[in-house]
Amino acid sequence: MEIVRTMEFDTDLVQGYYLFKIRPVTTMITSEIYNNYLQNLLKGNRQECTKIVKDLLDRDVSIYDLYLDLFQTSLYEVGYLWETNRISVATEHMATTITESVLSLAYPRIFAAQHVGRKAVVSCLVNEYHQIGGKMVADIFELNGWDGYFLGANTPVEDLLDIVRDKQPEIVALSMSVYFNMDYLHNVLQRLESELPGQQVIVGGQAFRWGGSDIQDKYSRVQYISSIKELEKMLQQYE
Amino acid sequence: MIPDFSGQALNNYLAEHAAIILMTLDVDGRIQQANRFTHNLVGKDVTGRLLSEVIVDFTGSFDLQNALQQEDEQHLFNVNSHSGLPQTFYFRFMEQNGKILAVGELNHLETEELRRNLVQLNNEFSNLNRELQKKNIELTKLNELKNHFLGMAAHDLRNPLGAIRNLSEFLLEEARDSLSDEYIQFLELIHTSSNFMLSLLDQLLDIARIEAGKLELDFQSTDLISLIKSVVDINKILAEKKKIQIRLEHFETIPYVELDSMKIEQVMHNLLSNAIKFSPEGNLIKVHVFLSGEHVTVAVTDKGPGIPEEDIQKLYQPFTKTSVKTPEGEKSTGLGLAIVHKIILGHMGKIWVESKVDQGTTFFFSLPVKAESKA
Repeated sequence: MEIVRTMEFDTDLVQGYYLFKIRPVTTMITSEIYNNYLQNLLKGNRQECTKIVKDLLDRDVSIYDLYLDLFQTSLYEVGYLWETNRISVATEHMATTITESVLSLAYPRIFAAQHVGRKAVVSCLVNEYHQIGGKMVADIFELNGWDGYFLGANTPVEDLLDIVRDKQPEIVALSMSVYFNMDYLHNVLQRLESELPGQQVIVGGQAFRWGGSDIQDKYSRVQYISSIKELEKMLQQYE
Repeated sequence: MIPDFSGQALNNYLAEHAAIILMTLDVDGRIQQANRFTHNLVGKDVTGRLLSEVIVDFTGSFDLQNALQQEDEQHLFNVNSHSGLPQTFYFRFMEQNGKILAVGELNHLETEELRRNLVQLNNEFSNLNRELQKKNIELTKLNELKNHFLGMAAHDLRNPLGAIRNLSEFLLEEARDSLSDEYIQFLELIHTSSNFMLSLLDQLLDIARIEAGKLELDFQSTDLISLIKSVVDINKILAEKKKIQIRLEHFETIPYVELDSMKIEQVMHNLLSNAIKFSPEGNLIKVHVFLSGEHVTVAVTDKGPGIPEEDIQKLYQPFTKTSVKTPEGEKSTGLGLAIVHKIILGHMGKIWVESKVDQGTTFFFSLPVKAESKA
């Protein structure tokens, strides 16, 4: 299957619907590399995707560039193709599975960061089966020397609260990709506020394309983080 | 073509295009016709085959005639798809106009549930992999820290211990006549203990260096027999104290071997000193060098107490001692064989042991005649 791109997406052009531009901005991840990776991702060619990522890592690509300009951009594009009925849900799952697999190639570098003694618990909500965004957030915490505990998809609120009590993290990060789960998010935030007052929480994810980013006005310790770059800025405040 | 959505035309369209298996069979169960979905699923050659070739009837108890008597009953069968991955269908069989009709339906709820479970399993697997890699890197860091500490401690302890050993040796040689027997015993104890501690420290430094990936091998084309002879000669002096003989036997011609002579000397010294340590007084130790294909093999055999089967697995782990006791209570650091093992692996060689309790032990190592070392 060859996906022919007919337009370039731009944040400004589509009223913030897409938070990305399909234009790799780094010199290392060229358009050619990106397109090659995306086509192989859509074909389900894990070996070729692995080869591309390994090659970039061997050339000492920045982990941020890899995450933002290759993994995130391609997943957003895959999501767009799925939402516009140009690829099936099976292809979308295959692409996600391959991305999860190639993410692990970067772990030796991500987990090698000098630890700063801070902790974050990152989780998806109940009924959230798209976990890769949350996992990438946990990895960004690790890259900044934090312990990024990732609880995975479809995490029941009781389990989340137990782990937060146990780990006592500086930050709880909640990832949400499906807007219809907004009620669950409020439920979790209310539980956190009443049972663990003072706990700093950040929320983010693709669900907020549809609204809800004003969530931080409703809770005293909740902050909406719109992108990995914003997360990075926020983490710098802790240094 | 846009179908005529009425009556027979609609039925025909659905029969051809819906995700459902539709086949007609003869009385023997041979497939006569199949719809497009079945062709796509099973393969173009589906017609003419027996139903029993297309489905998997694990129980072997399916009987077509019985199934026709109970049209409402569903039969769960896996269908051999041409992709090689079987798919499960719920079948009904009915007879119409002298033909047998087989209808296989997917259970969409079941398929959806399966897909959901697969996604969940994949997520869990990938998260476990993340945790595993994280722990692995943490362990690597801890191991590096341990090696650094070991190296530092061993290095800093070496000088003062060397002074204790040398000065006790000096006193034993120079002041023996002016000391009481009791003081001489104390000095001998200081000398023996400091000697043991120095050899332990040397081995700790070796292990720390090797584990830190700093096993540097200087490969030279070497006359292995000469090398082994010189190590045997040195160890004969130690062996004589226990009236032990060391006999070297070797093939007449052994080619030069690419190896690091210092390190292989260390291997031989470790194996021989172990053999001496574990041999009862008055025994014989044999060293045998022979060629086996592209490898040269060295065997060191003693008549010691032997090593129990359960201890053999842990022989090469650092700081591990076996349950075997030396006949005269000689001390062992538990590091020698770990170092030997790493050095031989660094030469892309192999090391193994054959042992029988109460009969003795033979340690073998083999080295490629032409080295292709990873060091």
